[in-house]
Amino acid sequence: MDPNSQQSGNMEEVKIFDPSILPPCLDQIDLAYSDSDVLSENHCVNEDHRMPSDPEGLLDSADPTSEESNQPQEPSSTDMQKLDIDDDRPLCAGGSETDSGKASEDSALVDNGQDDSSEFVVTVLARGKMEEQGMGMKGASSPLCDTPLGPPSHRNEDVTAESWRQHRKHVFVLSEAGKPIYSRYGSEEALSSTMGVMMALVSFVQSGDNIIRSVYSDEHTVVFMQRGPLVLVSVSSSRQSEQQLRNELLYVYNQIVSMLTQASITRIFEHKKNYDLRRLLAGSEKILDGLLDLVDSDPSLLLCAVHCLPLASSLRDSLSQILQKAITPNLVFSILIAKNQLLTIVQEKMVIDDARLEPADLHLLLNLIGASSAFQAGEIWTPICLPSFNPDCYFYAYISYLDPPECTVCLVLLSTDKEAFYSVAECKRKIEEAMQAQNALNAISKAHSYSVSQVGVSDLRHFMYKPFDVPDNHRQLTQFTSPEMEAPYGSEEEQTRLLDLYRDMHSRIHSTSRPLKLIYHVAERETLLAWVTSKFELYTCFSPLVTKTCAINAITKLLRWIKKEEDRLFIRYPPKYSTTPNPSKSSRDGH
Amino acid sequence: MLMISPRMASGMQEKQYTPSLLSFFIYNPKFGPREGEEEKKILFYHPIEIEKNEKIRNVGLCEAIVQFTRTFCPTKPAKSLHTQKNRQFFHEPEENFWMVMIVRNPMVEKPNKDGKPPTVEYQEEEIIDSVYGSVLQQCYSMYKLFNGTFSRAFEAGGVELLTQKLEKFFYRYLQTLHLQSCDLLDVFGGISFFPLDKMTYLKIQSFVNRVEESLSLIKYTAFLYNDQLIWSGLEQEDMRILYKYLTTSLFPRHTEPELAGRDSPLRPEVAGNLLHYGRFLTGPANLKDPDAKFRFPRIFVNTEDSYEELHLIVYKAMSAAVCFMVNSAVDLSREFCEQLDSMVGPHLTLLASDICEQYNVNRRISGPEKEPQFKFIYFNHMNLAEKSTIHMRKTASVSLTSVHPDLMKILGDINCDFARVDEDEEIIVKAMTDYWVVGKKSDQRELYVILNQKNANLIEVNEEVKRLCATQFNNIFFLD
Amino acid sequence: MGDEYYLELSENPVQFENASSVNNVFFDEANKQVFAVRSGGATGVVVKGPDDKSSVAFRMDDKGEVKCIKFSLGNKILAVQRTTKSVDFINFIPDYPHLEFSHECKTKNASILGFCWTNWNEIVFVTDQGIEFYQVLPDKRTLKLLKSQSINVNWYMYCPETAVLLLSTTVQGNVLQPFAFKSATMSKMSKFEIELPAVPKPAKLSLSERDIAVATIYDQLYVMYLKHHSRTTNSPGAEVVLYHLPREGTCKKTHMLKLNTTGKFALNVVDNLVVVHHQSSQTSLIYDIKLRESDGNVNVHQPVLPARSINPFKIPLTGPAAAPSQAPVPCELYSSSWSVFQPDIIISASEGYLWYLQVKLQPTLNLLQDKGKLMDFLLRRRDCKMVILSVCSQMLIGGDKGNLSVVATVFDKLNQVYKEYLDAEQAYTAAMESGPSRSSTSYKRPVRTQAVIDQSDMYTHVLSDFTEKKDVKHKFIIAVLMEYIRSLNQFQIPVQHYLYELVIKTLVQHNLFYMLHQFLQYHVLSDSKPLACLLLSLESTYAPAHQLSLDMLKRLSTANDEIVEVLLSKQQVLAALRFIRSVGGHDNVSARKFLDAARQTNNTMLFYTIFRFFEQRNMRLRGNPGFNQGEHCEEHVVFFKETFGENALMKQATA
Repeated sequence: MDPNSQQSGNMEEVKIFDPSILPPCLDQIDLAYSDSDVLSENHCVNEDHRMPSDPEGLLDSADPTSEESNQPQEPSSTDMQKLDIDDDRPLCAGGSETDSGKASEDSALVDNGQDDSSEFVVTVLARGKMEEQGMGMKGASSPLCDTPLGPPSHRNEDVTAESWRQHRKHVFVLSEAGKPIYSRYGSEEALSSTMGVMMALVSFVQSGDNIIRSVYSDEHTVVFMQRGPLVLVSVSSSRQSEQQLRNELLYVYNQIVSMLTQASITRIFEHKKNYDLRRLLAGSEKILDGLLDLVDSDPSLLLCAVHCLPLASSLRDSLSQILQKAITPNLVFSILIAKNQLLTIVQEKMVIDDARLEPADLHLLLNLIGASSAFQAGEIWTPICLPSFNPDCYFYAYISYLDPPECTVCLVLLSTDKEAFYSVAECKRKIEEAMQAQNALNAISKAHSYSVSQVGVSDLRHFMYKPFDVPDNHRQLTQFTSPEMEAPYGSEEEQTRLLDLYRDMHSRIHSTSRPLKLIYHVAERETLLAWVTSKFELYTCFSPLVTKTCAINAITKLLRWIKKEEDRLFIRYPPKYSTTPNPSKSSRDGH
Repeated sequence: MLMISPRMASGMQEKQYTPSLLSFFIYNPKFGPREGEEEKKILFYHPIEIEKNEKIRNVGLCEAIVQFTRTFCPTKPAKSLHTQKNRQFFHEPEENFWMVMIVRNPMVEKPNKDGKPPTVEYQEEEIIDSVYGSVLQQCYSMYKLFNGTFSRAFEAGGVELLTQKLEKFFYRYLQTLHLQSCDLLDVFGGISFFPLDKMTYLKIQSFVNRVEESLSLIKYTAFLYNDQLIWSGLEQEDMRILYKYLTTSLFPRHTEPELAGRDSPLRPEVAGNLLHYGRFLTGPANLKDPDAKFRFPRIFVNTEDSYEELHLIVYKAMSAAVCFMVNSAVDLSREFCEQLDSMVGPHLTLLASDICEQYNVNRRISGPEKEPQFKFIYFNHMNLAEKSTIHMRKTASVSLTSVHPDLMKILGDINCDFARVDEDEEIIVKAMTDYWVVGKKSDQRELYVILNQKNANLIEVNEEVKRLCATQFNNIFFLD
Repeated sequence: MGDEYYLELSENPVQFENASSVNNVFFDEANKQVFAVRSGGATGVVVKGPDDKSSVAFRMDDKGEVKCIKFSLGNKILAVQRTTKSVDFINFIPDYPHLEFSHECKTKNASILGFCWTNWNEIVFVTDQGIEFYQVLPDKRTLKLLKSQSINVNWYMYCPETAVLLLSTTVQGNVLQPFAFKSATMSKMSKFEIELPAVPKPAKLSLSERDIAVATIYDQLYVMYLKHHSRTTNSPGAEVVLYHLPREGTCKKTHMLKLNTTGKFALNVVDNLVVVHHQSSQTSLIYDIKLRESDGNVNVHQPVLPARSINPFKIPLTGPAAAPSQAPVPCELYSSSWSVFQPDIIISASEGYLWYLQVKLQPTLNLLQDKGKLMDFLLRRRDCKMVILSVCSQMLIGGDKGNLSVVATVFDKLNQVYKEYLDAEQAYTAAMESGPSRSSTSYKRPVRTQAVIDQSDMYTHVLSDFTEKKDVKHKFIIAVLMEYIRSLNQFQIPVQHYLYELVIKTLVQHNLFYMLHQFLQYHVLSDSKPLACLLLSLESTYAPAHQLSLDMLKRLSTANDEIVEVLLSKQQVLAALRFIRSVGGHDNVSARKFLDAARQTNNTMLFYTIFRFFEQRNMRLRGNPGFNQGEHCEEHVVFFKETFGENALMKQATA
């Protein structure tokens, strides 16, 4: 049968679900199917919500679960299988009134399944593994080898070593029971006691009918955040504000949600307080690591805006048109990315009518893609939750690079229909053809970010500009533009330093208690100016020797320049299409 | 507008609560290391009523927090803990002696209709750590000024003596903490110096020298006028806290109606005979009183090295106050006090009127109208010199500021930014209320200016500040 | 006791042949010449002047006993009186006939009491009936009467320095008529009366010339009257009454010196002090009429110092009376053979000596306890400087250490004099600048007397080693220094920076940095570059010194370069550049200097900033960002390219 059968244990997991039919491209089928178990769950959720939307809906669907679990003949135990059973039951229960047979089948198949195979990430990673061997891709980049096999150095760091303390920012995720879920540096095991203390602090303060927020020392800021059953802690020696660190933790939390959905996380811990969530997240550390690296290095997360690749508006429009033409039912977002910057995004009318895509969600999606080279091969069909959009349901993402092997241009198509793989794949082919026809790839490869010197203001070193006056703004992804970081910000540490300064300005000007309109800061190595108006938000970096007059003139010049260039720098008119969706598929959660 | 914090919210039925002291305790983990002995750790706890286990729990939390932060930096443990309802400040002034101050966040009480209990909303970002951290450190310095160090007391009389001293001191002192009116000035803990011409200053110098020569018991002298320092024989750090005590506690208690007329230069014939306004602010209220007590408060200075214990004699004539510090080993007799009174009284009275005269002359020259034009706070870390045109006389009770508390908090924020690096910096911000706030740091000096030219632009603001520097600070090296 | 003699006789007296039956001795106060006339001049006349070279010897025929003999000013003409009717003259002018000629007084049957030269060729005959003022015409060997005045004269007294002649008139002789002489003119001054203790009945001459002396004290002419003790007046002892005799206006009784004893007295005036010798007690008293006790129209004075004898004098071996191998004999002081002349001359005719009386100041230190009074006294003496300085050191160090208030008064007295001199100086230079033509009264440069003790005197002789003293409490040292500075300021005398340095040195020695800081804060130590540099050097031990010195340089406003250097040395390159820009000098500074400094910090970021700054400057000044050859920045350009890449260099287009 399938050529992969002779492969390592992980292979089995995949195999297990193998339905008898062997589709031409078994990979995706595997995925599709392997997903299905979990995903069916989302369906039920969705169904629940088709009836006049009520926020309790989710809980309803969860309720039976709890009842089930409370049944005496189902003694809850630490045993994995039990959990799986408990976990699976509602799926069928909530799902199309399937019989206990399905249940038993499920349970059965879970019984001999060693791990939470129902988790999609694992399977995705499994895919990675297979490609690695099957298609001989670079193993190093494959996320799979992170988990069971040789972990990278920072996983097994000595947590008592000075080097570990030196880290600029630690992030910990733990369960209410104090069970470690994730640590950016050092293995969770080694840190279990530390995390125990964290949880103790949280619950101690809680017991006093109070909430712990943060701890300050001369060296560190420790921020605590509780989200449902998860506690996230950031220990940072960067000078970031508490609010910013909290937002970063929120990204981490949402990234986890994007993989598991809030509903299932809640449910899991309702059933088993001290459940070890790492079982579900096994292998996804790299995604969180990637996210945290992004958080530290990419201002778009700070600004909650997307960075568009500067492009001649004509080219951008033609790309949009290509995407607009290639549609299929239930397709909601078509996103084209190059060099991790947005080329264009086309959105489904109905969907954006009641919920626009948040930049935060896009960042999570991009991070997911970026974090795993697995996606670089062929086509991927994977469920993903967009927490800001709806924390409890999955979209189905079709991800494919259009320019292998460079893999700089990536197409992402989001559908609400888990079965839509083939039709969506078809769209991609149309898009590919159209782009070849226009030789668009070539044009895109020529596109690149710009240098600040083009603005022509000698004292200006760098800036970030976030407009609010984009047409149709409320439907739009918030965007921002920013030139390359060039000398004197060539080195990585200088770049981080500049970002820190920006973060600083950002936190001050957006302070929750004492917001400001403008900040002019002559610092030791540069002069920074942050300015928030109803039309835009601007952060500029000048030479420390700039005079205020020069700075003001420079900014006037800059604004004029941006106005002149705005068609190139931004997506001005968000393109849309209508995929006449089966209303049942349109998600209207959380609104 | 004149604004006095604490302020009540403007909203008709909404109620605003300013920050307040929840509890204040001092413990030493070494004193009760074993299980069940935890209570021994606690040396002082306010409020006393708190139930024992509650105390132990709270102390436990602090220990845990400190321990926890040590896992990330053993040498720099936690300074503060932020929670929804309050902030806790930790300070270890002497090894293993921990002081903790818990301050309740300000909150707004919003009444609910249909009889539901009012919803309370805590304003978590209103308190500035650096301000209250300094307040806590001040608590220690003040204690040390009048009682010496914790460890000395412990060595002398064990826990009993120490706890006695702590209770005796803090019971009274904590009531004088007015947490709602703390601000940047508490961070600086500065000293306001009296502006004076060279000649008058030299006169004061020789006055001090002559008194010290003829009353050789006197070890140190400090000279103040209008609650502003002119001369200190004490070292800076000691003077800093003594000044705080004098200006926020002792002087306010004695501000009897000092008529302006009294301060105007005396007519020569009055100066001729020995009529003078000198009197003791510490020690005997009235020398004539046959059973007057000659006990003076004791203070501890140079606790780092020589650890001196001194009598604090504060003697005042009109607006001129002099602190004479005498070794506490000798006890001061009526004779000494009479000698001092007869010698210092007339001389000081004359000096006081001299200073007053000079001061008025200078004022006439410099022109008073330039003063109020700018609202600013100036502080120099090198000599602790402090000047504020924002604060109307900071008394023990409350500090009157002429600007909105939120602006004061912005000053606090800017100050925190400055504290991060030693390099010179300048920060100009425009608040939502369109006020401009300018912070400048040059060498060891900090200047904060508040401008209400609402529709001024950055450049105009800059010009304003330049003008201020030209008028107020042209004699120091202050980069623009 | 030995060091307590505050009066002494001049070391080498003028010696002459002592008076004897064959040798008459005369003294001429005008030329201070002693005439030894042997047997009426036949066997020779020896004239000894104040200094040996002016001594003359000659012969003249013996024409009878000589009553009076005097040279005119400059030894031009010799006048000799042998009879009461006439005076004889001898030319001493070279190549003039050396022949005697004689002149009789024109008033009939008047007898000449004496004569005095008022000029080299003008002479006054004083007769019992008046005075005759003549001009001598040596070539014609005749006299020409210039003026004459008839008045009854009992006796006369002449004061050479002022050319004032005093005539005793009236029966009692206590009405004195002064005449003033000036080249060829004679002016009558207002006469005045000396109050006698008791008016004798019947009236008889009761004011003897022995009781009157004329001398100038503090540039004023005084007539001193030795008023003997009398039962009638209830005064405990004799007094000396001083009548001030101004050029114009009436003579007034102004001072009264209490002698508190009786007996025989003699008067001298030395260094503006009135010296009263008391024969019976063999002691002398000194009075300073400027040290006034009580005010009022007449100032009563007590002796400044306790009575002391004149320092014993030993007659040297040599000398006419001395035979070989004879030990120096102590000469008898206050001997009855002494005659005392004004102002300061004592002659012992019997021994053949002429001394000048002198005042020794050193002993006064221990004799006058009140330091303030002592200062007043010393400040008016001629050779006072060293004494005053030693008084100062004495009051600061050693046993009888004065307290601060004394120190203060002394300083104030010194600086008062110092200030007066400075003002005079200033007025003088100002006048010179404005041009002498302007001010009709032609200024003459004020003389700097020894009493002017300036800061460097104080520093070198007193303060510098005082501050070195180990056994003195530093508190006192600082207090004294501050007092001195206070006093200088009080008199608006600019303080020299070395005094400040002394203060700073002392404070630093005792780690009193906070005091130092406060002094500077109130500008007690005035600004100067040297001081600023001194402060800089303290930075290592006291960090704030850096700020203090920068402030000082800023205030000097002439020290911008120094400020830049200081900042650069502290690697505060940005600050330096900002400063120089704030004073508008940034277009002229050397780019090289700043780039070097930036490089030294190893802060590439900073280097970039500075480099860019100068690129822009070049752009602004020359329209081209590149550096000129002359600026020697090549290596920096290379480094910049290495670190930031070729295209980080500023483009022509931009900016």
